[in-house]
Amino acid sequence: MKIKTKIILFMGLVFLLHSCTKQEFEGPLIATIYGDFELIEPLIVTNKNPSFSSNEQVSFHCEFNKPIKWKITILGLSTSAFREITGFSNLIDSNMIVWKGGPSQVPFFAEEDCAIELSFENETDTLRDTITIVSAKNFDDGIWFEDFEGGIPSDGLVYYNNDGGSMTFSVANDNALLGNSYFNMGGRVNWDWVLGNIDLPINMSDVSQNSDDLYINLGILSDLQDLHTGQFINILISEETVTPFNDNPNNNASDLFEPTMEVYKMKVPVDWDDWQLKSFRYSDFEPVSPNNQDINFNMNPADIRAIRITCQACPSSSGNPVCPENFGKNVRTDIDHIIFTANSSLLDQ
Amino acid sequence: MKRNLLLLIVFVAVFLSDISLHAQISENIWFDGFSRSFFARDAVDKSTIDDTISARNTSNGYNLLDLNIHVNPIKDIEIFSQLRIRNSFGGFFGSGTEINVRQLKAKGIINEKIRFSVGDLFLKQSKFTLYNYDEELSGFENDMLKPYRDIIHYENFYTENRWRLQGIQTDFSFEFDRHIRSLSFDLFVTRPSGSRQINETTYSSDLLLSGGSVFSEINKRLTMSVNYINFFEVASSGTKNVSVRNPIYDMSLIHHFDNEKYRIEQKLQTGFSKRYWLHSQLDNGRSDSTSNDNKGMYFELDNKYIKKDSSLVLTLGYRYVDPNFRSAGAQTRRLNYINGNRNTIYPIYTNMSLIRPPSVFDLVSDDKLYNQELSSVLMVFNPIYSNILPYGDATPNRTGVYLNTIINNKKKVFLTKINTGFFKEVIGQGAAEKREFGFLKGAIKINFHQLLNWEKEISFSASSESEMTRRGGETVSSINLFSHQMNASLNAELVKKFFIQASYKQLNANGNEFFTQRDNYGKITYYTSTQIDQKDHMLSFGMLYKFRENVYANLHYNWWGLKFADQPFSDYKYNRLILILSVKL
Repeated sequence: MKIKTKIILFMGLVFLLHSCTKQEFEGPLIATIYGDFELIEPLIVTNKNPSFSSNEQVSFHCEFNKPIKWKITILGLSTSAFREITGFSNLIDSNMIVWKGGPSQVPFFAEEDCAIELSFENETDTLRDTITIVSAKNFDDGIWFEDFEGGIPSDGLVYYNNDGGSMTFSVANDNALLGNSYFNMGGRVNWDWVLGNIDLPINMSDVSQNSDDLYINLGILSDLQDLHTGQFINILISEETVTPFNDNPNNNASDLFEPTMEVYKMKVPVDWDDWQLKSFRYSDFEPVSPNNQDINFNMNPADIRAIRITCQACPSSSGNPVCPENFGKNVRTDIDHIIFTANSSLLDQ
Repeated sequence: MKRNLLLLIVFVAVFLSDISLHAQISENIWFDGFSRSFFARDAVDKSTIDDTISARNTSNGYNLLDLNIHVNPIKDIEIFSQLRIRNSFGGFFGSGTEINVRQLKAKGIINEKIRFSVGDLFLKQSKFTLYNYDEELSGFENDMLKPYRDIIHYENFYTENRWRLQGIQTDFSFEFDRHIRSLSFDLFVTRPSGSRQINETTYSSDLLLSGGSVFSEINKRLTMSVNYINFFEVASSGTKNVSVRNPIYDMSLIHHFDNEKYRIEQKLQTGFSKRYWLHSQLDNGRSDSTSNDNKGMYFELDNKYIKKDSSLVLTLGYRYVDPNFRSAGAQTRRLNYINGNRNTIYPIYTNMSLIRPPSVFDLVSDDKLYNQELSSVLMVFNPIYSNILPYGDATPNRTGVYLNTIINNKKKVFLTKINTGFFKEVIGQGAAEKREFGFLKGAIKINFHQLLNWEKEISFSASSESEMTRRGGETVSSINLFSHQMNASLNAELVKKFFIQASYKQLNANGNEFFTQRDNYGKITYYTSTQIDQKDHMLSFGMLYKFRENVYANLHYNWWGLKFADQPFSDYKYNRLILILSVKL
C-alpha cells in the first residue's frame, strides 16, 4: 500500500504541476469577427512619388478590428493601367504589402497620376489616396530576354507551313507590346495543327534558381475578329545539353526538341483581344515524352538550351474536321517580350 | 527498395523451400488470407432533375486476393508477408491488375524471453497517447451495414483501435516474488512518414514515433502502467529547419476487487503533453529556438461495475482534458474533412458542377475518405456528425462526466446499450462563454428466435443517438446545434444460413455552429459561422448468405441521399446495387 500511496501522491503532484490553462478563451473573438467593421489605423501610403525605374516601391499600411477580405486598387489615370492587391487579414503590413510598379495585366503604367482605393468585402468603407509615378518601371530586367527590337535573332530559326494562307511569321512594328517590334505568328492552315514556330537558343548555365523559382513571361497578341476558337500557343523548353541547337542546318527548325530529348511544354489557349502578358512557373511545365524511360526528367534551369514557341490551331477542313466551325478562319498568336525572371513573374517583380 | 528486397527474400524462402525442403513445407510455411469480390452499380435517382451532366449510372468492381505467407525458417522466427492481387472489372488484358506487397513483417523470440517484430506493426497504448479511435456513426450501427464497415476497416488497417506503423517493436516481462508481482516492458520505434521530395531542392523530414510502456501488477488488486510516446521530426533528414516535437507522459492506476457475482474496477489516469516546433541549424550561428509551445494535461477517473454473468456493465467516470493537450497518436482522426478530400461516388453533382458534400452513406461506404497517417495538428471535423468528442476521449478542451451501460437479458433475448455524458469546454473558443455538450445514445437488439425458441435467427435492432451543443452569451457567438441519428434493422433467416435484411438509417441536424480554421501550427485563426439544417437518409434492402463465420455473400440495394434546408447546396438522391463476396481463407 505504501507504493500505491506514493504513486497517488506523485500523480497528484503531476496534476498540480500541469494544472489547468489560465486563458479565458482561444482564437480570435467571434464578436469581433462577426461584429461591426472598424478602422483602427488609416491607410498610409509610403512614397507618394515613386521612381520605379530606380527600383523604388510603394508600401501600404492599414489596420482594422477584424480579419476581412480587402482589396487595394491602383488605377493609372492616363493609361488606365491597373493593379489589384488582395488579402484576408486584419492588418495590411507595410513590410509585406508593397507595389513595385507593375500592372495586374497590360497596359503598363506610365509616368502619370494614379488613384489608390482600399475597399473591404461587404463593407461600404472605402479609403482613397493618390500618388504620382515619377518614372515607370522597366520590364527588361530578367535572366534572359528577347524583344525582337533587332529583328529575328541571327541564331534563331523560323519555320512555318508554306502551303498555308496569309502566313505572317515575321517581325512587325505596328503594335508592339513594349518597344517598337514584335513577332507575328498566324495564318490559315485548315488541314493541320501546326502553323509554324520560332526556335531561339538560350544559355542559362549561370542560373542558380530551381524550377519553382523560374518564370517564363511573354506577351501574346490576338483579336476577336472572326476568332479561331481552337488556336493556342505551345511553349517548349529543351534541356538537351549534348546536341547542338542547329545540328542539321538543312532543316528550318532547331534539333533540340526531339521526342527522345528532355523537353518540357506548356499549352496556352489564346482567346482574347489585344495584348496580354502571360507568366508561367517553369515547374508547371510538363514533360513532352513522360513515358520515355530513357529520359531523366530532372528539371534544371541551368540546363535550358532552347525555347520553341509554336503557333497551333485545331484543323477544320473536311480531310481532318476536328473543329469544322473554324474552317477558313485565320489564326493570330503574335508574341513579344519573352523574358525569364527569377523568384516571381514579370509583373510582380 | 527495402520492401522489394524483403519481398525477394520471402519469395526465395518460399520457392527454395519448395525445391529442397519439400518434406518440411507443412511445418515451415503456411498460408492464410482473405478474398473479396465487389461489384457496385450507382445511379442517380429518377427524381433528380437538376443534374443532366453526371452519368445516369456507373458501375465498378474488383476481385482481390490477399495471400498471407507465413514462413518459419527456425522455430522462434516467423516472416510474414501479405501479397495483394487485385483485378478491376473491365481491365483489358490484365491492364487493371495490380500486384503489390500490402504487409511485410518479421517477428520472433530471442532466447525465449524477448519478443521482437520488425516491419508492419499495429500499435496501441493508452487512450491519450496512441489510440485509433472509432470513426463517427459507427458505434451503434446495425449488422446490415457491417460489410461496408469491414471493407473500410480492412482497407485502412483499422484493427482493435491500433495504428498501423512501420518500425521495430520489442516486449519482455519479469516476474517477482516480493514487492511487486510482475513488470512488463513494451518499446517501439516507428517511422510514420519518410523524407519526401517536395520540389527539386526541398525535402521534408523523416517523421518518427517512438515510445514505451511499463506495466506492473503491484499486487492482486492493483496494477499500474506508465506510457511515454514522442512524435517528432528529424530535421537533418530533410532541408527544412523546423521540426515538430510532441512528447506525452501518461500514467494510470487500476484497482479492482471482485467476488463470485461481480467485479468492480477503478482506473485513475493522468498525464501531460508538450508540443512545439524546434528551429535548428539557424543562420549566423544562432542557437536553436522553439515556437508555438503548447503544454496540457488530462485526468480521468473511470469506475466500472461488471456482473459476472454478463448481464450488466456499468461505467461511470469523470474526465478533464486541457485545451492545450496535444497527442498526435491519440488525436489523429480516421475521417478528415479537409478540403479536397472528395467522395469517390459522384464527387461532382448538379448542372452547376458543385462538389458533392459527403453524406452518411459516404461515411458508411467510402473507404477512400479515411486516413492512415498520423497528424501533428488537430484535423478538421464536421460538427454535424461528431461535435462533442471529435477526437475521442482525447478531445482537448473538455471536462465532464459520462455513464455507459450495457444490459443483457440472461437468455440474450434483449441486448441494450445506453451511453450518456455531459461535457463542457474548459475555456471558450472565440468567446468567454463555454460550449456545453450533452449526448444520449441508446441501442437495443431483440432476438425473437431466443424468445420463441426458434432455430432460425430473427432479430430486430434499433438505435438512437442524440448530440446537443449549446453556448450562450452574445447573440453573435451563441450556438445551438442538435443532431440525431436513428437506425433500425431487421434480420430474418428464411432458410438455413440465408437471411433477408432491411435497414434504415437517418441523421437530422439543425442549428448553428462555428467551423474553426487553424494555421499550420494548429492555432485557431478564424471561425466560419454555419447554419445547419440537413437530413441524411439511407434505406437498404437485401439478402445475405452466410457460408460460415467470416465467409458470406451479400446482395443489397441502397436508396440514399441528403436534403438541405436554407443552404446553398442542392439536395441529392442516389441508388446503389451492391454485391460483396467476402471469404476469409
